[in-house]
Amino acid sequence: MTLPENFDIRYSTNEDLPVLQKWFADPMEREPFPFETDSETEDVLKNWIGFARFKAGLTGILGEAPCAMGTLLLMPYRKVAHHGSFYLIVAPEHRRKGIGASMVRNLLHLAKTRFSLESISVEIYEPNPILRLLEKNRFELFARQENFVKINGRGRARILMEHFFQ
Amino acid sequence: MSSQNPISIRPGIQEDMKYLIEWLQQPGVLQWFPLADLREIEDAARIWISNIKFNSVLTALWDGEPCGIATLYIQTFKKLAHQSLFAIIVDEKFRGKGVGKHLLTDLEQLAKEQFQIELLHLEVYEGNPAIHLYQRLGFLQYGYQRHFIKQNNQYLGKIMMQKAL
Repeated sequence: MTLPENFDIRYSTNEDLPVLQKWFADPMEREPFPFETDSETEDVLKNWIGFARFKAGLTGILGEAPCAMGTLLLMPYRKVAHHGSFYLIVAPEHRRKGIGASMVRNLLHLAKTRFSLESISVEIYEPNPILRLLEKNRFELFARQENFVKINGRGRARILMEHFFQ
Repeated sequence: MSSQNPISIRPGIQEDMKYLIEWLQQPGVLQWFPLADLREIEDAARIWISNIKFNSVLTALWDGEPCGIATLYIQTFKKLAHQSLFAIIVDEKFRGKGVGKHLLTDLEQLAKEQFQIELLHLEVYEGNPAIHLYQRLGFLQYGYQRHFIKQNNQYLGKIMMQKAL
């Protein structure tokens, strides 16, 4: 898969919030995440963009227009500050172009170089097409919990995976 | 339990936070929590005790004196509301006297009857003797995250356990 020529990545800013809100206005886009209702979504997206002040968020752009956003979620306590996790979304119209793969690689790079993290974990709900991308990036399964989440009343498993930098 | 049992359980109240902070500072306790100093302890205690707004905190009393606290972290996300993580602590002076078992038995009942929780789960660091209690109460391991805690360049893994109610 070849990335679009005008694809680039910059740090996210607070001004990216409306774009994030627009992408998540579609309830289908909320399915891979723990939030579902409008108020839950609003709270999480504010928290998401809040990490921009630490330069922990990345925005993928095509020309000037955002096409993907991801953020590292940093841990608040010192004994666990050596690892983190992340959120990621690629705008629906820009999927299957390699943008998600590039965002994951850049989030990992940011975690390692800027924040000196030793590992990054991620939580996904089954089934999720990002699983293959995570496996390609050497994320390893460390927990699988059946019925963790109920989507449309049906129990689905959560899968926890972690990538170690060393 | 006989009527002689000195343990009783009541709903947690805001004033219990001071016991939580005191017990977290007892020797050796912090090795089983992700907290490193008083600022982090107070922050975690505030979050822990804030669950009294859901009535999901239980305080154990020994002859009327607080000796342990357990909390369901009620999920505010709708699609996660059928399951709950919990935390528990027992004052070192009252360990080995059945306080933890009593608290967890009542917490499980509260989870099931009051909150319709279907899946109760916990996180515990490897080596914590409380693992045996969780196993006796029917919790099964479903995950293990190595290197979860880092202290003085030593790592400790996190064991994740659950019980279907």
